[in-house]
Amino acid sequence: MRGKLLDLVLVLGGLVMIAPLVWLVVNALSEPINAFQLPPQWIPNPPTLQNFHQVPGLIPFARMAWNSLQIAVLTTAGALFTSAMAAYAFNRLRFPGRDQIFSVLLAALVVPVQLTVVPIFIMMRWLHLVDTTVAIWLPALVNVFGIFFLRQYISSIPRELDEAAIMDGAGHFWILFRVILPLARPGLTALGIFVFEASWNNFFWPYIFLSTPEKMTLPVGLVSLQGAVGGGPAVVLFAAITLVVLPILILFLIFQRSFIASIATTGLRA
Amino acid sequence: MLNTFVFALSSVVTHIGLGMLLALGVHRTMTRGTKYFVRTAYFFPFLVSWAAVALIWKYVLDPTFGIAAYYLSTTTNWLASPTWALPTLIVVDWWHTIGYTFIILLAGLQTVPAQLHEAARVDGANAWWRFWSVTLPVMSPTIFFATVITFIGAFQIFDPMVIMTQGGPDGATRSIVQYTYEKGFQSFEVGYAAALSLVLFVVIMVVTGLQFRLSRRWVHQ
Repeated sequence: MRGKLLDLVLVLGGLVMIAPLVWLVVNALSEPINAFQLPPQWIPNPPTLQNFHQVPGLIPFARMAWNSLQIAVLTTAGALFTSAMAAYAFNRLRFPGRDQIFSVLLAALVVPVQLTVVPIFIMMRWLHLVDTTVAIWLPALVNVFGIFFLRQYISSIPRELDEAAIMDGAGHFWILFRVILPLARPGLTALGIFVFEASWNNFFWPYIFLSTPEKMTLPVGLVSLQGAVGGGPAVVLFAAITLVVLPILILFLIFQRSFIASIATTGLRA
Repeated sequence: MLNTFVFALSSVVTHIGLGMLLALGVHRTMTRGTKYFVRTAYFFPFLVSWAAVALIWKYVLDPTFGIAAYYLSTTTNWLASPTWALPTLIVVDWWHTIGYTFIILLAGLQTVPAQLHEAARVDGANAWWRFWSVTLPVMSPTIFFATVITFIGAFQIFDPMVIMTQGGPDGATRSIVQYTYEKGFQSFEVGYAAALSLVLFVVIMVVTGLQFRLSRRWVHQ
């Protein structure tokens, strides 16, 4: 009986958690005169898609979505590749200064990205890369956390496997890509999901580096749309937010298990 | 700077507390459907970008047509009130981030061996005592990890302030990263901004170091 009551409380809490999102979608689907009514309407009546049609007129939405996707894919691929290479080197190879370099990397882990933005901004200005998407993905190609995380993962893979491969005449690349990485697949998936999600949702970095609407990513685009909508009813803004949130919701519902595993194992915070 | 401290401290304490309650609630036996719904509902907001979260909540909290004002039947303009703006942002931060804390703690709870609980039960320990002397010690590394990560994250908070309040009213919600941004990229005092970054770095290092030092007293190895 007490268990049922607690379940009820948790479910009600869950409903409160998703209420703002439901409200978002309902208003996005409502005609401007019917939106934002009080008491709140929880079913759009009549539903309409007209707000969605207005989004591209105010901001280059498709362009921004492409930028976000491009940056997220490059960042994820780059971070996975460099992390795997570095993690292998730090775990399996012996070279002078290895442990010292790794300690420096560990120290870099506590340094928040916000602190590096001023020096990186200066570097990007030198390279004439400010206000380009390159400025967003280039510094993200190497991910210190990824190196640390995969090194932990690789160290749990038995060395006998590499030794057997060496006997067969395999080189380091062969061992890494044919022996180690297939075994480290759950770790790679977890890291990949997390890097992708963090990049897709990143606001701080693009907000600082990008100013031309055609070069912006979706989170920055949404905030600029807020200005374009002004003080009027924000149904169009809500439609745009829905377009940004929905793909993640769908991806999450499909890959829920991997998403949750990626949080539980990487413990990375966006 | 003080705002950042207040925000960090209160968000860490409440996050760990609420996250723990949630994790304990979900860890009990419940039907598969309920568990799935509860886990999804609490976790999903974490995947919504801060930009979208901040914009949605700006409308949810709007005193004239927001649902928060309607259901709580007040017309307080929380975000414009110097007293309420910061606590309001803390609540919005719960909504966004609690799912993360909850998943980490839930993963920790699942590592607590059932045999230990059984043994304690045989010895006649009640539920509260079992939580205090079995669950908490076994989970202490997870709680420690969540605390450190939440602290570091809270010190770096930037997005909701910029989008929802621009640091206002009257600086009541300005965070240190936001201040750095204003100095460096709006008034172009790059040297000052770099100095501020360094201060933030030192503070994070000191607080994290302190947490590690104190952890020897309570984290079970």
